[in-house]
Amino acid sequence: MSRRITFLFLIVLVLTLFVVPAQAQSCTADSPCDIRTWIAFTDFRLDWAKERAAEFTEMNPQFNVVISEYTDYEPLLDAYTLAQEQGNPPEIIQLFEVGTQFAIDSNWFKPVSEIINGREEVLGQPVGFDDIIPVVSSYYTIGGDWSSVAWNTSTPILYGNMTLLAEAGIDTLPTTWQEMEAVCEQLQPLVDAGTIAGCVTWPNHGWFFEQWLAQQNELLVNNGNGRDDRPTEVNLTSDSALNIVQWHQDMYDSGYYVYSGVQRDWTGTVQSFSSQQVPLIMTSSASAGGIVSSAEETGFEVKTGTMVYDDEIGWTGNILGGATMWITDGLDAEIEEGALAFLLFFSNTENSADWHKVSGYVPVRNSSVELLQSEGWYDENPNFLTASIQLGESQVTPATQGAVFGTFVETRDIITQAIEDAMLLGGDVSEIMSAAQTEATTLLEEYNLLYVE
Amino acid sequence: MFILPPPVIVIVTALIGAGFMAYRYQSRAHSIALGAAVGAGAGIIGALVTMVPLEFCTFEQERTTLDLALGIALMLVATSLSLAVLHDLTQRVVGSKGLLASGETQPGAFKGRSASVTAFVLLLPTLLILAVFLYYPMLETFRLSTLLARLGAPRSAFICLDNFTRLMTNTGYINSVVISFTLAIAIVILSLSLSLLIATMAYQPIRGGSIYRTLLVWPYALSPVIAGIIFRLMFNPTAGVLNHILDSLFGIRVPWLLDPAIAPWTVILSSTWNIMGFCILFYIAGLQSVPKDLEEAAAIDGANVFQRFFRITFPLLSPITFFLVVTTTTYAFFDTFGLIDFLTGGGPVNSTSTMMYEVYVVGVQARDLGKAASQSLVLFLVVIGVTILQFRASRGRVSYGA
Repeated sequence: MSRRITFLFLIVLVLTLFVVPAQAQSCTADSPCDIRTWIAFTDFRLDWAKERAAEFTEMNPQFNVVISEYTDYEPLLDAYTLAQEQGNPPEIIQLFEVGTQFAIDSNWFKPVSEIINGREEVLGQPVGFDDIIPVVSSYYTIGGDWSSVAWNTSTPILYGNMTLLAEAGIDTLPTTWQEMEAVCEQLQPLVDAGTIAGCVTWPNHGWFFEQWLAQQNELLVNNGNGRDDRPTEVNLTSDSALNIVQWHQDMYDSGYYVYSGVQRDWTGTVQSFSSQQVPLIMTSSASAGGIVSSAEETGFEVKTGTMVYDDEIGWTGNILGGATMWITDGLDAEIEEGALAFLLFFSNTENSADWHKVSGYVPVRNSSVELLQSEGWYDENPNFLTASIQLGESQVTPATQGAVFGTFVETRDIITQAIEDAMLLGGDVSEIMSAAQTEATTLLEEYNLLYVE
Repeated sequence: MFILPPPVIVIVTALIGAGFMAYRYQSRAHSIALGAAVGAGAGIIGALVTMVPLEFCTFEQERTTLDLALGIALMLVATSLSLAVLHDLTQRVVGSKGLLASGETQPGAFKGRSASVTAFVLLLPTLLILAVFLYYPMLETFRLSTLLARLGAPRSAFICLDNFTRLMTNTGYINSVVISFTLAIAIVILSLSLSLLIATMAYQPIRGGSIYRTLLVWPYALSPVIAGIIFRLMFNPTAGVLNHILDSLFGIRVPWLLDPAIAPWTVILSSTWNIMGFCILFYIAGLQSVPKDLEEAAAIDGANVFQRFFRITFPLLSPITFFLVVTTTTYAFFDTFGLIDFLTGGGPVNSTSTMMYEVYVVGVQARDLGKAASQSLVLFLVVIGVTILQFRASRGRVSYGA
């Protein structure tokens, strides 16, 4: 008998343990609500985000912002997709720019304009979206509404190891393809001597292809790069597209371009620059912080310049890259408010300026730029100004605004693969690109079949 | 519009089945009528099981010849499978009436009618778990493979056998099938021969032998992901330690991860290293069960070390070798995926993209569930085929020493 009572008692105990915390409670300082935030950084940028989260939690003890890290944008989106399928998504995720259309089509997120609903302030955090720099708002607003909160914004720039370049008698960075080829030729003796592995490197990533396409004012998809209407075709066989891939092939064949053999190799390429194996690198302006500080440690001089362009065609502009923060749809109203307030705090004038200083990402608010200027930051750190200049001087055309379409993420992989094929296997560039075009267009057609009414 | 109305298709299949079985039963002196009935039943089942879910779509006029051929092949395979089952069932029914009864009860079998209920009840928990975790996902995979479906998409669309016919004409996919087999064969041969060699040496009674044996098993304890990361650092063409050593010793630098002809070998070497601990463990255990007296007798008769090994030890190890061939093949097909993801990412130029890795790339990275489902079914068929082949090839050559 006593054994049965003990058993019943245990059952009741277990049930209470499960039931009591499950009761719906409002967020209080004693039992704060978690705001799970997934970001795609694992380095000092993760630490920076965690510090801001801690500051926000201190100001709003009814919330607890928990930052989790993923190695890159793609795996983060994969993980979020699975979390959605399993019905347990985090409150906030960082989503890269090319995922914008997919995110809108998925209906997984609540547009922030809808949550803000015309207010000037959320939980004491000012909104002030008219303060966002034009290049960012023209990319991310569709029909004047913000779907997400802007965070990290960058553009590819050129970094040069001036100490190594000086050994070959070079004192200015190349600005065009033609100048870069000339510089590479000058550096060839250093390569032959085994001092360096090659002239220039950049990650093999569709992003660079997209940038060069924008520079040459060519669209990636039809219907005004997808900004007038839903696109139906991907265009990878335009003269510009072939020109870009051909240049990759030529640069690789001549031994000027150093390929690590791994696609999307952001860390490997930076390592070969920092270890002085390669004197020139084109990569995200967001690497400025890391590259400059590691150059100081190693003891060589770094200078930044704009991304090189084809002088025979000219330069129209570059596209921004980076990511924004999205809020999951279907949250409790209180948590939703907390999530939005956190993001507004996260990207306010001071934090946006500080973020620029630690990372090199472009400050997304005009007020942050003014703050940095008044502090004299750019006078002391001219390398950090290049990205803002490159984006600021870009003409706004459908090509430089960037493409918007649902299969952008997958298409990027197709382009990356095609460029790798062109370099490693060789062969006719137009054949490789027309095969890639067929693949990408089929994918887009299938996507439209499933998503578009 | 169909080229043939569905009922006609079913009747034709039934007729083919009936004709075939009537002929078979006749030649074995069984009842022709029974044979025809069994064949017709199997034909109907085979046609309905495959074509009802597919809505007879392969017989639509606008389909290609490839669709049609694949549809007919599917129907015939389903028919022969159900023939086997139906034939077995009729034999049992006819047998219990005494017509074809063998009269023998197999040892270990339950007796009587209620006993089979007991057996079923005892099996029920296992069957339930299998149903939830294997059979249901399996059926779902079959369903998905006929759909244009994307992870997170609001809709899906039925596209008949397009996912499969596209695979058959996709050179990239055929290439990944070739790569999978090449990797599997190389990994099995390399890992088994090296493991046997090392196990035989480590089994020698030497000082500190147990320490060596423990150390040798360790690589297996490392997850493929960790192994992939470590090897990626070691094989790195410019900064890797391996090329540093090769460079300082022989003055050569091998483009381990850059050359499409060499990268598969990088994967083969790394996965062989990863799985060898497992094989060595089993071989050492196997060597312990080889009777010492046989070896001693052979030694007294003047057999040298190699003769003793190839005539006595190796044949006695055959059950272990067979077991390891099956598990290592499974490892090469399914478990190298994590290592490949972190070592090469399927590259360069897809030269290390195995069928399993393709499923991941298509299903998870590109979110294309339909294509991934069809690819995993193909992979499933391949592995079943390879296993059946292995069982056939090893029949009579594996001695269990009974």
